[in-house]
Amino acid sequence: MNDTVNNKSQFIRLTRSQRIQHIILMISTTLLIITGFMLQADRWFISVLGNASEAVFWWRGFIHRVAGVVVTVICVYHLIYVVVSKEGRSWFLDMLPRVKDIVDAWQNIMYMLGFRKERPQMDRFFYLEKLEYWSVYFGMFVVIVTGTMMWTEYLWPKFYIDVAGAFHLGEATLAALAIIVGHIFSVHYNPHVYPMNRAFIDGMISEDLMKEEHRLWYEREMNKKENQQNGVDDNAK
Amino acid sequence: MKAQIKVLVFLATAIQLLFTTPMCLAEVDGSCTMCHKYPGLGRIEKAEGEQAKKTKRLFYINNKLFESTYHGKIRCKSCHTGVEKIPHTNAPAVDCATNCHIVDPSTNRSFSHKKIVDDYNNSVHGEAGSRIKDKSDLPVCKDCHNNKTYHDTVGKQTDSIHKVTVCKECHESEEFVQRFYEHIMYRTSKRRPSKDVVKLCSTCHADQELMKKAGLDAVVGFTYTFHAKAIKFGNEEVANCLNCHAPYDLGFSPHRITSRQEEHSPVSIENKIMTCRQSGCHVEAIDEFSLGSRVHPSPEKIRFLMSGEEPVPEENQVIKDPTFQTKVVGWIQLFYKVLITVVVGGLGLHRLLDMYASRRERRIRGH
Repeated sequence: MNDTVNNKSQFIRLTRSQRIQHIILMISTTLLIITGFMLQADRWFISVLGNASEAVFWWRGFIHRVAGVVVTVICVYHLIYVVVSKEGRSWFLDMLPRVKDIVDAWQNIMYMLGFRKERPQMDRFFYLEKLEYWSVYFGMFVVIVTGTMMWTEYLWPKFYIDVAGAFHLGEATLAALAIIVGHIFSVHYNPHVYPMNRAFIDGMISEDLMKEEHRLWYEREMNKKENQQNGVDDNAK
Repeated sequence: MKAQIKVLVFLATAIQLLFTTPMCLAEVDGSCTMCHKYPGLGRIEKAEGEQAKKTKRLFYINNKLFESTYHGKIRCKSCHTGVEKIPHTNAPAVDCATNCHIVDPSTNRSFSHKKIVDDYNNSVHGEAGSRIKDKSDLPVCKDCHNNKTYHDTVGKQTDSIHKVTVCKECHESEEFVQRFYEHIMYRTSKRRPSKDVVKLCSTCHADQELMKKAGLDAVVGFTYTFHAKAIKFGNEEVANCLNCHAPYDLGFSPHRITSRQEEHSPVSIENKIMTCRQSGCHVEAIDEFSLGSRVHPSPEKIRFLMSGEEPVPEENQVIKDPTFQTKVVGWIQLFYKVLITVVVGGLGLHRLLDMYASRRERRIRGH
């Protein structure tokens, strides 16, 4: 990341645009998961709703569709963002999977099992973060396509709708569980950041955490800074 | 004084018995309520067969309640034919096709449910129309018309008196006007909520044993469709069983329900699309919308197909399925089951390892 701030102990982890994208994605996905899985609800849940169940059903469908549109828009926006904007391109390039990720994964597992003394040094995004990021591409593609198909059900043979429904439910279940087990645990129950990684709110990462978890990125940033300063010094001469 | 009252009560009872008993013993002359007005009147019957379950049968008739029902104008013996003497031995079971003394104003003939009973007999549920071997398994009128014995709705729907004032301009009898109006209101409005329709059909069609005996697959797949889920929430807009299998709007009736293999069935391959396109449903559906797989392929069936086992032996199968399409859905479900196990299990394992590692780190730092 090119924009470090003056405060030496803090670096920018997420820019303003990235934070807004994340918040929108977070809220709409949560709504989608809740309203979507309501369809799988058991009888007791509906009996709790009592007479309101019919209204709840209508609102469920309405919110699911609105949130679906919002998610689609934000995904398309993100695709444009990673192509058009400078910070987006840098994000995208740093997210690209590399051979190092496989090596990192292997070395990290070995470390966690106690066969290695040191964790591998990670760059800006480590292998699990990359996996989560690219899973969103795959998952969103599946749910947006199948969701649109089910929304326009009259345009397709019934068999296609069955297939779409099976994919939609499967992908949603996968995503919901992956978010709970993978994402929420890593940003809340990570001992380095417990009780919460605040980066999604203020966008900042502390120098300590950066050294600990993203050593290579830290060094990259520091080199860049030095070069910049040298450049400034050179210009000053 | 007290003793005198006791004697009086005894005398009164004795006199009453003296007069009524001979009448009871005589031929039944139409005054059924003479006996049936007593709330305790009933007996415990022992059913024949393996399940010798004792059932209580109550023969009490609340006359006031009965008169306020749709059948309230009909005399007992119009339906309970053959009740000639006491005890009522050899009286046949009530036949809904019996002519009753009510005159049908549209034909001037005595009214009867005979037409519906005939239609029903020719339907897939009727003795003439069904292809199953054991006809005793077939449902009869009362299996579906299992509503409360009394429909005490007369007087309930004429909430606004103004609705019937116009009728009363010509028709003098207020009782007639109310009954007629409410009959029409009741018959033309939706009679059962979708939830109840699904429940009713499921009593037989979700019964694995019974359906296997009939050479059919038990319908379990419907509960997984969007229609069923909406119905569970009380939505009345989506289709329940009858909206597709016997849509009134398209001229079909639950009494004339047919197998989907019949040409004129609303769910036959040719007619299906017309049924899907009913007003308020998938009106603009493309022609291919209804083609191919069943509307409710059951996960049960998918499981059977995937395991290579047939739920019903091929030769007994009444309905053949496009099994490939059913299988495809099963493969997708299997794919996601594996993927979810691997991904979520992997993530969870990774997290556990991480916790293990950081505990070790803390221990080392602590030393």
